Amino acid sequence: MRRVAMVGAGMTEFKEHFDLGIKELVPMAVSEMAASVDKGLDRSDIEAAWFGELTTSDGFPAGILADSCGLLDIPVTRVENACATGNDAVRNAMYAVASGIVDVALVVGADKVRESSSRSTFWEWAALTRDVAWDYPLGLVAPANFALHAARYLHESGATREHMAMVAVKNHRHALTNPKAQLRFEITVEQVLRAPTVVEPFGLYDCTPQSDGAAAVLLVSEEVADRYTDRPVWVRGVGLGLDRVMHQHKQDMTSFPPTVKAARAAYAMAGIGPADIDVAEVHDCFSAVELISYEDLGFCDRFGAAALVESGATTFEGSRPVNLSGGLKAKGHPPGATGVSQNVELFEQLRGDAHNQLDTPTYALAHNIGGPTAVSAVTILSTEKD
Amino acid sequence: MSHLAALGTYLPTWGEEQDRRPGPDEDAVTLAVAAGRAALGCLDEPDVDQVVLVSRDLPLLEGGNAAALLAGLGLPADLPVTEQVGGCPATLDVLTAAAPGTLVLAADLAPAGAAAALVGADGLEVLPCARRVGSLPVQSRGRDGVARDYEDARLGWDRGGLAAVSALDLAEKPVVVAGATARQAGVLTQGPAPALPVTGASAALFALAALADLGETGVAVAVEQASATAVRTGRGTTRLCLARDEPAAQSPATLRETPGPEIAISLAAYARAFDAKLRWEAGACDACGTLALPPRLRCLECGSEEGWSLAPLPRTGSVYTAVTVHVPVPGLPTPYSLAIVELDGVDVRALVKVTGAPAGGTAIGDRGRLVLRRVALRSGIPDYGYALLPIDTDPTTEDI
Repeated sequence: MRRVAMVGAGMTEFKEHFDLGIKELVPMAVSEMAASVDKGLDRSDIEAAWFGELTTSDGFPAGILADSCGLLDIPVTRVENACATGNDAVRNAMYAVASGIVDVALVVGADKVRESSSRSTFWEWAALTRDVAWDYPLGLVAPANFALHAARYLHESGATREHMAMVAVKNHRHALTNPKAQLRFEITVEQVLRAPTVVEPFGLYDCTPQSDGAAAVLLVSEEVADRYTDRPVWVRGVGLGLDRVMHQHKQDMTSFPPTVKAARAAYAMAGIGPADIDVAEVHDCFSAVELISYEDLGFCDRFGAAALVESGATTFEGSRPVNLSGGLKAKGHPPGATGVSQNVELFEQLRGDAHNQLDTPTYALAHNIGGPTAVSAVTILSTEKD
Repeated sequence: MSHLAALGTYLPTWGEEQDRRPGPDEDAVTLAVAAGRAALGCLDEPDVDQVVLVSRDLPLLEGGNAAALLAGLGLPADLPVTEQVGGCPATLDVLTAAAPGTLVLAADLAPAGAAAALVGADGLEVLPCARRVGSLPVQSRGRDGVARDYEDARLGWDRGGLAAVSALDLAEKPVVVAGATARQAGVLTQGPAPALPVTGASAALFALAALADLGETGVAVAVEQASATAVRTGRGTTRLCLARDEPAAQSPATLRETPGPEIAISLAAYARAFDAKLRWEAGACDACGTLALPPRLRCLECGSEEGWSLAPLPRTGSVYTAVTVHVPVPGLPTPYSLAIVELDGVDVRALVKVTGAPAGGTAIGDRGRLVLRRVALRSGIPDYGYALLPIDTDPTTEDI
C-alpha cells in the first residue's frame, strides 16, 4: 500500500448561502483548495474525484461536480453515507491512491440544507434514514434520534446538562477566530440551559445550526507529493463502522459502536492509539454526542467524559483540544461537507496555518457519526509519514 | 332477543369527566379497539365470529377500517366485519338482532367514547321493545364532510327526540335514555337519569352499562334526532361481565399544529408491516425462536434466513430511554414524547410514542401498557401502531 499525502485543502464559509447554489459552492471550494497547493495545481493532473453529498439539492451530484468544476474527463463517484459522508469520501479516495490506481484524487463534500424550507427538511431528511413503515411516522426527527442516546447517557453516566452545555460553550468560543464559521459568538452555560427546548434534553444551543457549504481536499501518492508541496500532511488511517439501524436494536445506547469500530480501524492503520492524538475534530451535531464520542474514541474512560470536559482538557488551552474549528455546533454542518471540512481544519493545524494554531501538533483525528446513529467514519492525519 | 356476555367501555383521558375528546392519536377505530379489548379481556375464552362497528365517524369510507379493527382486537382476519353508519338507536337495533358470537362495537368522536358488547348464548337479556324512525336532520353532514347545524335545539327535541320517544308508546318509563342531555333524559325516566359521557352510537351501550351498574333491569331508550329505539333488559342465567377502561379526565394538552408537507406513505411498506404492526407481533425465528420487531429475513441472533412466524408480544414494559420533541414538526402535533420500551419477559425493545399522558412526563424506568393508536395520518391514510400508555391501570371489571 502506498502512502497518501494531503497537499491541498479549502472550503467555503459555512452559513445560509441563500445566494449561492451547489453549482457555485462546489467550484468555490475546489478553487480555494487549488489555491492552497504550495507549488500550484494543474487541474488536468486530477485523475478521479469522490463527491460526498447527502441530498441531491440541485440534481445529479457526480455530474454537477464534473460540470461545475470543469472536470469532465475524469470519473466522479458520489458518496452518501449519512453524516459520515465527508470522511467516507476521504476514505474512498485514500484507498484509490493507496492502491496505486490513482496518483491525484480530489475529494469534495457539499450540501445545501437551506435549499428547502426548514419545514420540508424534517421529512426529507427523516426519509433518508428511517424505516418508512415503523419509525418514520413516529416523528423521530434528527435531534430526537440523538436525544434518545443522550437521555440514557445522562441517566447512566452521571453527566448533566451542564456538561453538555460546556461542550457548546467551548465550541462557540473556538469558532470566534474561524472566518468560515457560521456562529461566531460566545455563549454561556447559563444561556445554553435557558434556551428553548428543541428535543429534551437538547436546548437550542445544544444543536448544530442548519448550514450550507462545501469543502475540498487533494490526496496524492507519496511518489508525486513533492510536485505539490514540501510540507504534506499524511493520511495515516481511515476507518468506517456500522451498527444496527433501528434504535430499538441497539443494545447499549450510552455508546456509539460505529465510532468504536471506525476508530479501532483507523488507529490500527495509523499504528497509534488515542493517547497519541494531539487535536481532534469530533462530531458534535448535538452537545452530548461530543461527550459520548470522547469515550468511544478512547480519549477518556467510559463515563469519564463529564470530568474530561469539566477539566478543560478539550479546550484550545487544554492538553487535547477538540473542535478548534468550532465544530459542527458553531462552524456549521452541511453534512456532505462536514467531514471534509474537518480535514481542512486539521490540514491547516498540522501545517501551522490554523486560526487557533496549536504548538506543533503531530497527530490529528476527524470523526463523524450519523444517520440513525448507525455509521461512523474516522480519519487520522499526521505530519509524520510513518 | 339477545344475551350479552360481556360489555366493555372506553373513554379517552382528555377533556371533562362527562365530555371527553379523542387524543391526537385516536380515531373511531382505535376507540372501538380499546372498548373491544376491555370486553374481550373480561372473558377467559371469548367466542367471536363476527364484528359490527356502529359509528358516524368512520375514518376511511373507501375501506381499510375492518382489517385494522380485527388486527387491533387480535381477531382472525377471516371474520366478517360490518361497518354501519348510525347512532345509538342503530346500535340497539344491531344488538337485539345479533346472533351469539357477534361483537358489537360503537365509537364516537364528539363527545368521544366507545363501547363494545359481546353477544353470547347467555348473559344479560336484551329484548327489543319499540322503534320509531323519523327525519329531522337538525345536524347534517353529507358526502362533503361539512357539518351543519340548523341551530334550533328546542325544535330538535320537541319535534325530534321527544316526539320519537312518545311515539314508542312505552308501557313503562325508561330507566336510562341515551342520546339526550341529562335534563332531557330526566323528564323521561322513572328515577334520576344516569348521566352518560357520550351521545352517539356508543351511548346505547353506555346506557346498558349504567343500567347494569344500577343493579336493575328495565327499559333503555336510545334517541337520535327524530328516531328512537327502546329495549328492555332482563336477567339471564349467567352474569354479565362489565369492564370499564375509563381513566380519569385530564385537561387536553396544548398542542401545536404545524402546517407543512404531508407525511408521505409507502403503501407497499404499509402492507408488509401491517400484521406485525397492528397485531403487536414479532417475527420469531423458525430456527432458534429469537424474536425480532419488526420481523426480518435474517435472524438477529443465529443468522438463519430460513423463515419466521409471527408471535404475540407482551403488552407491558418499562422505559429504557425517552425524549420529548418540542420543536414544531409539520403534520404532527407537538410536543410529543418518544420512548424505547423494554417489553416484559422478552428480549425485545420497541420505539413508540407516548399516549394518554402529557408530553414530557415519561421517565426512564416508568412502566406502561402498549395500546393501539393512530400513530400518524399520512397523506390522509391512518397509520396505526402501538403507543405506550404510561398509567399502568388495568380496566375495572365486575360481574353483574
